[in-house]
Amino acid sequence: MTDLSPQDDGAQISQTEIRFLTPDMCRIHLGTHDALHVTVKNERIYGGVYAAYAFPVRHPEAYISLLHTTSDEEIEIGIIRDLSAFPEADATLVRQALERRYFVHTITHIHHVGWKYGFVFLDVETDKGHAEFLMPWRHDRAFDYGSRGKVLIDVDDNRYLIPDLDSLPTRERDEFQRYIYW
Amino acid sequence: MFESRSQLLQRPLPPDLAATLLAEGIDPAKAWLSAETDLNLAGGYEPVFALVDPDRLRTVGCPCERWPGPVRIDLARGSIKEIRTRQGVGGGFLEALVEGVYVEVLAYSNARADLFHKVAAKLKVWITGENPTVTPEDDYNPRKCPKCGMTLEFKGDLCRRCINRGAILSRVVQLMRPYSRWAIVMLIILLTSIALLMVPPLLTKILVDDVITPAMRLGRDAVLGPLKWQLLYLVAAMFGLNLLRTVCDSLNGRLSSFVGTQITCDMREAVLARLTRLSVDYYDRHSVGQLISRAGYDTAAFNDLIRNVTGGYLAQILVVIVTGAMLFSLSWKLALWTLLPAPLVILASTFYWRRVYPRYFRVWDAHSRLMNSLNSILSGIRVVKAFGQEGHEESRFGRSNRYVRDSARRVEYATSLFNPSMGLIFSLGGPIVWYVGGLDVIRSASLVRPEFTLGDLMAFFGYMGMFYGPLAHMTTLTDWLTRLLTAAQRTFEILDTAPQIVQAEKPKALPSPSGSIRFENVTFGYHRHEPVLKNVSFEIQPGEHIGVVGKSGSGKTTIINLIARFYDVDEGRVLIDGVDVRDLDVNDLRRAIGVVLQEPFLFRGTINANITYGRSDATPEDVLATSKAANAHRFIMRHPLGYDTYIGERGAGLSGGERQRISIARALLYDPRVLILDEATSNVDTESEVLIQEALARVTAGRTTLAIAHRLSTLKNSDRILVVDKGRIVEQGSHGELMELGGLYYRLVKIQTELSNEPSIDGLAFRTKKA
Repeated sequence: MTDLSPQDDGAQISQTEIRFLTPDMCRIHLGTHDALHVTVKNERIYGGVYAAYAFPVRHPEAYISLLHTTSDEEIEIGIIRDLSAFPEADATLVRQALERRYFVHTITHIHHVGWKYGFVFLDVETDKGHAEFLMPWRHDRAFDYGSRGKVLIDVDDNRYLIPDLDSLPTRERDEFQRYIYW
Repeated sequence: MFESRSQLLQRPLPPDLAATLLAEGIDPAKAWLSAETDLNLAGGYEPVFALVDPDRLRTVGCPCERWPGPVRIDLARGSIKEIRTRQGVGGGFLEALVEGVYVEVLAYSNARADLFHKVAAKLKVWITGENPTVTPEDDYNPRKCPKCGMTLEFKGDLCRRCINRGAILSRVVQLMRPYSRWAIVMLIILLTSIALLMVPPLLTKILVDDVITPAMRLGRDAVLGPLKWQLLYLVAAMFGLNLLRTVCDSLNGRLSSFVGTQITCDMREAVLARLTRLSVDYYDRHSVGQLISRAGYDTAAFNDLIRNVTGGYLAQILVVIVTGAMLFSLSWKLALWTLLPAPLVILASTFYWRRVYPRYFRVWDAHSRLMNSLNSILSGIRVVKAFGQEGHEESRFGRSNRYVRDSARRVEYATSLFNPSMGLIFSLGGPIVWYVGGLDVIRSASLVRPEFTLGDLMAFFGYMGMFYGPLAHMTTLTDWLTRLLTAAQRTFEILDTAPQIVQAEKPKALPSPSGSIRFENVTFGYHRHEPVLKNVSFEIQPGEHIGVVGKSGSGKTTIINLIARFYDVDEGRVLIDGVDVRDLDVNDLRRAIGVVLQEPFLFRGTINANITYGRSDATPEDVLATSKAANAHRFIMRHPLGYDTYIGERGAGLSGGERQRISIARALLYDPRVLILDEATSNVDTESEVLIQEALARVTAGRTTLAIAHRLSTLKNSDRILVVDKGRIVEQGSHGELMELGGLYYRLVKIQTELSNEPSIDGLAFRTKKA
């Protein structure tokens, strides 16, 4: 943990222009209570930072926005054009921040799909383990992820991702598409 | 006492964890709040507890490699300046502001979001030094089904999992009650029709056994004898029976259509009546398309029910039962042989409805996508051409087109295999019956009293033909019943939804409002725990002209929504003439408020009908006077049919400015004490804006007026301007006062004048009007 503390006397960030963050202009590190901090050279230390994808489907390792929030507003510190250009330690912190923010189950296998009274019931295997969930049978609850994937949202608003339907075994894909046909 | 504990906010720790904490010198029994989350801060599933005692907020979990001790976060009450929840994707975070930094205290999945919004609310009180109370009532969550715990789509929604399906069916049947006499008549006709259907094979038996076979023995003499007349009677009886059955079926068809369409008609009207009375927030949660589908199509399920009861499933069930009985009565042995292919029929039909039929969904979806693609290309053809994207659009359309082709092929390939297979299964019964029945006929031929005659065999074939068809159809019964119940349930859901904005038990009348408005510490948010307005207070005197300015999303329109009571405040009060709007008669309140929106909504009908909307008692003189005042009269008179000109959906056929002037005339005719103008001139051309501004100057005279506008020049002459920022009123005063203040309003004016290269807002107004 570093003892750097945030300062508020930095320069104003332009709200109309995108700023790309590069390893030579900033450092990504942990600060108070392991919160993610970003120190921008000749500017300030931003504490309590979180990361968000700009193109989660097309560029999951690039164009990552680092955001800092205060009680009133949210400031985009800048965008990382290419995460691999950063030192591994910095990149790992950003990846961990992304993992925390995007709580998504990636479906690896579908055991069973059923339908009852307006709900689709799914019994699946995910990267986080076995899961069974109910999803309202509506278009807005299963939307496209890229050109071949689907994101499913269950009754609790939890998210389940199938990155590529074609990668599922034929039986599983057919069973899935019998109900999620759109 | 255990029973007085909150199950969610005072959740006991696992004994191991409690023991580990005690060993560390932390007594979990001192905690006044203990809430379990399902995620750890690495984003993995793990039970972690927020444990709060009078002095400290801790998160605790079982020790592991990443967190060797039981305590993950430990914050002293005094060190926390603020508590909040932050929404992630699929989950969220409870955060504490410590040393100027928002620290993630714990993470939760969306399944626990409501719980941690509650925890955050308690902690916000706790950090101020107060001791919040936690009671079992805190466990109540209107977004969870009290029976199964499933998350509902919105608070107070019906749980589809727990809904009593028997009750739905009985409610559907109850709908038939006003038509019970017709239902009995239909049932009698149906039974008669089935009875008539059973007779022809028996006549065939008589024809074969008592007429044709003896005639063959007698030879030519039979033609001249009584057998000829017997033949004629039997044929006439067959024709008569068929004729009678046709009459019965036709009559039943008419009656079922009469009853079915009437029930559907009644249901649609009831659904629409409920929809128009539901609060605006209901429309925030449901898409218009979804509601159209419910009101338009789900209600049609009741017509389907009646048709199926009379001509569909009920008839099929009865036919299967009666023909089955007839087959067994003719020859039980042969009937058992006949049943041999029956399981295959049921299996094949089940396979079709479960596996093949759902593929049609894809075909319909593909067609819908194709039409959407075509629609967007043709509607936006100018954009396509302007950007030179013809090739791109052709390839996009090609993809949709091939998707239609492939999905159609998939289903048609399956049906082209299925249908002949079903034919084969049906035909299996024929050879079996011919062989087994034929042997019986041959064996019986030598007997004086034959057990099984050729007539019996022919009659058997007649009944067998009636048996398989309905059997195949029956396999769809459960699917149909499910669809019917789901549609009925969706319809009943609307009928059973109580409006969120409810009339007070003893509403206060507002017969002649003066138009004063007061906001007292109002906090409100459209979404759970996301306030749009935060502790807002202001007062407007009767007849005062108020401008409301602020950035997009700052809360301007929300102020108006609360005045009109489209929503109820979460905290604080909104008062009109000193009375809380929640205590006022809703009709009186709406009568006191007129609204002119950015997108004026006109209904299909005449211009006159649109102007008199809400004031059907208005005289032609009133309509002419208000239209003149709204600068609408001149353009209306240019139409050959004047005020009787029919306009299309949403005012099709009129320009934006014309539509807006009609909506102003409508508001003026309504004669409200409070007039709300929500970006009334932002979507019209400059010339129209001048005309509308002139009209508004006349219309607003003497009325309390609240105007929202991004173009600040239009608000310059307001008595007072409220500047809204991030849900708070940050400045208020006249244009001059606010310019002098040099705050947000000054900056907004500066941005607009800089963008227009005008030195002052007056110049901006002048330039805008001149342009």
